[in-house]
Amino acid sequence: MAQLSEAVVREVVKEILAQMGNGSAPASAAPAVSNGDSVADLTIREVGVAKPGTASDEVVIALAPAFGDKLKKRTITGIPHTAVLRELMAGIEEEGMKPRIIRVWHTSDVAFVGKRGAELSGSGISIAIQSRGTTVIHQRDLFPLQNIELFPQAPVLTLETYRNIGRNAARYAKGDSPAPVPQISDQMARPKYQAIAAVYHIRETEFVDSSKKPMDLEVRFN
Amino acid sequence: MAKRQKRFEVLDAREVNKDGFVTEWPEVGLIAMGSPNDPQPSVKVANGMIVEMDGKKREEFDFNELFIANYAINTAVAEQMMAIPCVEIARKIVDINVPRAEVAKIFSGLTPAKIAAVMDELNVVEMMMGIQKMRARRTPGNQAHVTNMQDNPVLMAADAAEATYYGFDEIETTVAVFNYGPMNALALLVGGQIGRPGALSQDALEESIELQLGLRGLTAYAETVSVYGTEKVFIDGDDTPWSKGFLASAYASRGLKMRFTSGTGSEVQMAYAEGKSMLYLEIKCVMITKGAGVQGLQNGSISCIGVPGGVPGGIRAVLAENLVTTCLDLEVASGNDQTFSHSPFRRTARLMGQFLPGTDFIFSGYSAVPNYDNVFAGSNFDSDDYDDFLILQRDLKVDGGLRPVREAEIIELRHKAAKAIQAVFAELGLPAITDEEVEAATYAHGSNDMPARDKVQDTKAAQEMLKRGVTGVDVVKALAKRGFPEVAEAVLNIQKQRVSGDYLHTSAILDKDFNVVAAINDLNDYQGPGTGYRLQGERWEQLANIRHAMSPEDI
Amino acid sequence: MSQQDIIAAIVKEVLAELNGGNGSAPAAAAAANGRTLNYKTDYPLAQKRRELVKTATGKSLDDITLDAIMSGAVKAEEIRITPQTLEYQAQIAESISRPQLARNMRRAGELTRVPDERVLAMYNALRPNRSTKAELLAIADELESQYGAKVCANFVREAAGVYEARDVLKKD
Repeated sequence: MAQLSEAVVREVVKEILAQMGNGSAPASAAPAVSNGDSVADLTIREVGVAKPGTASDEVVIALAPAFGDKLKKRTITGIPHTAVLRELMAGIEEEGMKPRIIRVWHTSDVAFVGKRGAELSGSGISIAIQSRGTTVIHQRDLFPLQNIELFPQAPVLTLETYRNIGRNAARYAKGDSPAPVPQISDQMARPKYQAIAAVYHIRETEFVDSSKKPMDLEVRFN
Repeated sequence: MAKRQKRFEVLDAREVNKDGFVTEWPEVGLIAMGSPNDPQPSVKVANGMIVEMDGKKREEFDFNELFIANYAINTAVAEQMMAIPCVEIARKIVDINVPRAEVAKIFSGLTPAKIAAVMDELNVVEMMMGIQKMRARRTPGNQAHVTNMQDNPVLMAADAAEATYYGFDEIETTVAVFNYGPMNALALLVGGQIGRPGALSQDALEESIELQLGLRGLTAYAETVSVYGTEKVFIDGDDTPWSKGFLASAYASRGLKMRFTSGTGSEVQMAYAEGKSMLYLEIKCVMITKGAGVQGLQNGSISCIGVPGGVPGGIRAVLAENLVTTCLDLEVASGNDQTFSHSPFRRTARLMGQFLPGTDFIFSGYSAVPNYDNVFAGSNFDSDDYDDFLILQRDLKVDGGLRPVREAEIIELRHKAAKAIQAVFAELGLPAITDEEVEAATYAHGSNDMPARDKVQDTKAAQEMLKRGVTGVDVVKALAKRGFPEVAEAVLNIQKQRVSGDYLHTSAILDKDFNVVAAINDLNDYQGPGTGYRLQGERWEQLANIRHAMSPEDI
Repeated sequence: MSQQDIIAAIVKEVLAELNGGNGSAPAAAAAANGRTLNYKTDYPLAQKRRELVKTATGKSLDDITLDAIMSGAVKAEEIRITPQTLEYQAQIAESISRPQLARNMRRAGELTRVPDERVLAMYNALRPNRSTKAELLAIADELESQYGAKVCANFVREAAGVYEARDVLKKD
């Protein structure tokens, strides 16, 4: 049996997007940020090993190994990573806090990426995100498999959700207790996406480097 | 393609094409059965100890393999059983002249790779024949999910009563909001005993809370104790075979029935399948369950069904994992419990593997509520599908565990359950249930039809129930004081199960008189036509008597 | 001894017990009128050997009535299985060729003596990367010396060896 090639994944995702029509994810972008349908307008550069932050207004966005500059640079529903990252950052900034973006290399598990990000975050709060779009808000003092808010169903996450996730993370960092970000539960996401989501996760996991430390990133939107 | 062919346009719009399919990717384990990376079967025993298994020396075993080698394989017969060719074992599974016990004895000496290779000899019809014979309990059964998005206790009690009246032997709930655990368990316990005394109830929660509710007699069994087929994924799930084995003993030490949970696809979904096929890894889970001395297993992919469902032969592998569980002489609660497909054809076909031969629990969660209220993210069939299911039973003369019911009976029953939980809430000092809520729950389709409750008060009360240590005995007293003596008696009889331990045995359920029916006093004795469970007599008349069949005098 | 040798030794001991050695509760067989119970004649206990089933406080199943509950003669905490009953059920399981189930019931019989919170704490300690080897061995000793839980103690000792070999002990 042939290895599932990138071309095949690309095809599958395209088909799904076509089936979904125009009604869903990218259309619901929050208006404040240009979402840009292009995946090419993001440059990511590693600038050094990430050290524990000291600024209490800092919220870490911890990227899983392939997010942003590898594979297709889109989430499972085809939202460009660029747009997702912009929304997360905008949400944090809206609350007067500062996003700090790092890459975690030693794991692709969103819970463990989040836990590491939170340990490095000046405020103790992090957002972790996988290539497929699965996201968590984590906090330094929690166990890895605990979380503040978990967004396990990537297919139902929209740009508006990502903006709200950024905003809520910032509020937790300020010591507030915001209402959790509203989530849609789509029971039909399983038959539609579960197998594809597994492929996404495996492909991302291929980029795991268990010996490499988390790195600070410089991110430029072109 | 600029110009579409019109038939393909229609095909592309069909429900089945909303499902996600992927090609196999054996290098990472995205393959249902027979990965080129699955090991070749082998075993070596020295001084009563397995020193080699499936091509690996003992020194190279991971913790799953050590546990399986130490506990799950009968070393006295292993070499003898491993020497039987795979195809011959496969034929014994199907051959009506070979009794169940003989097949079980052979399987007691097989390694994971050997079992995987045996399964690969069988097509799905042969697998169904296998389950018909190898299922532990003679009488098939069924289990339901009873949940709602609002954690509304009145609705939950009414739904539980309806579910057990239809015939589910077990009912399972969980929470939409974490803190409601104890209150949901209470609603399920009271409602379930009203629909059919003897039905067992459980509440899937965080491990320590779930155990506590069991200790207090608010639940009768536990199920959501997960095991995994690779060491890495087991660790990511924060357990080992030893921790889960210890937990199994903890449950039994309090007289509580329990089973483990596993399923094909979980390892590859967590990206650490080590290139092995989904079925091979699942067989390890079944053997870990057996080795831990747990009486049964919920499998059939469960929450990962989209993964085997997306690859070639995946649903055959899901059937194979149920069959392996029965061949290892364990109770099987056989899945069908999650949204699986947009296509009603696929949903039904997927069910047939368990429905036609019958299993201990054909669904490990038929949604006894509309799927929108199913907090387990939906099931393969829901309450809107009841008549379809009942007519499938009638068409094929198959006992799927449910019986036709009448609208008037259900109205009466739901009303009684709602009144009973209203009384228990009042007696236990929980937030009041109004007559308006009782009325709404009686006639509701789902939680959308219920008036809103004060969730802050309910959450607080649920937590207080834990702190105050409300027990099943308190529920018995409340029911008796408020005029529900027969329900009180039933809840008390559930409590007494934790003294005799009879229902700790394989495939145990209770009949309406609280007699244990297990794979001991109701051991499956199928050996071809004229033997085993036969749908006949009163039971068949009951199942044939659906609501909308016209009789001559109607015309 | 090397790590492998220790594991081997433990496993041998465990297997010896599994195969009907001296590990099972010795008092039990005698209590059931000198013979072990059999699934054909004795199951379910609540029907066929009702006289053998007692609560933790020595009451019979027939003592647990609605009246007794209402009058307070039977309390919630009494409605519990005993090690003796678990031993009977283990014998039933063994008689129908389910040695693993029997073994779990015997471990359970031992754990009836361990308080709820302690059982939960021991379970958590057995989770991966939670305990050092010394901590696990201390739990094993506690099980054996304080609660007479020999089978459980060996189970935890075995885990300690496996966890060391598989690198799932807490790093201190």
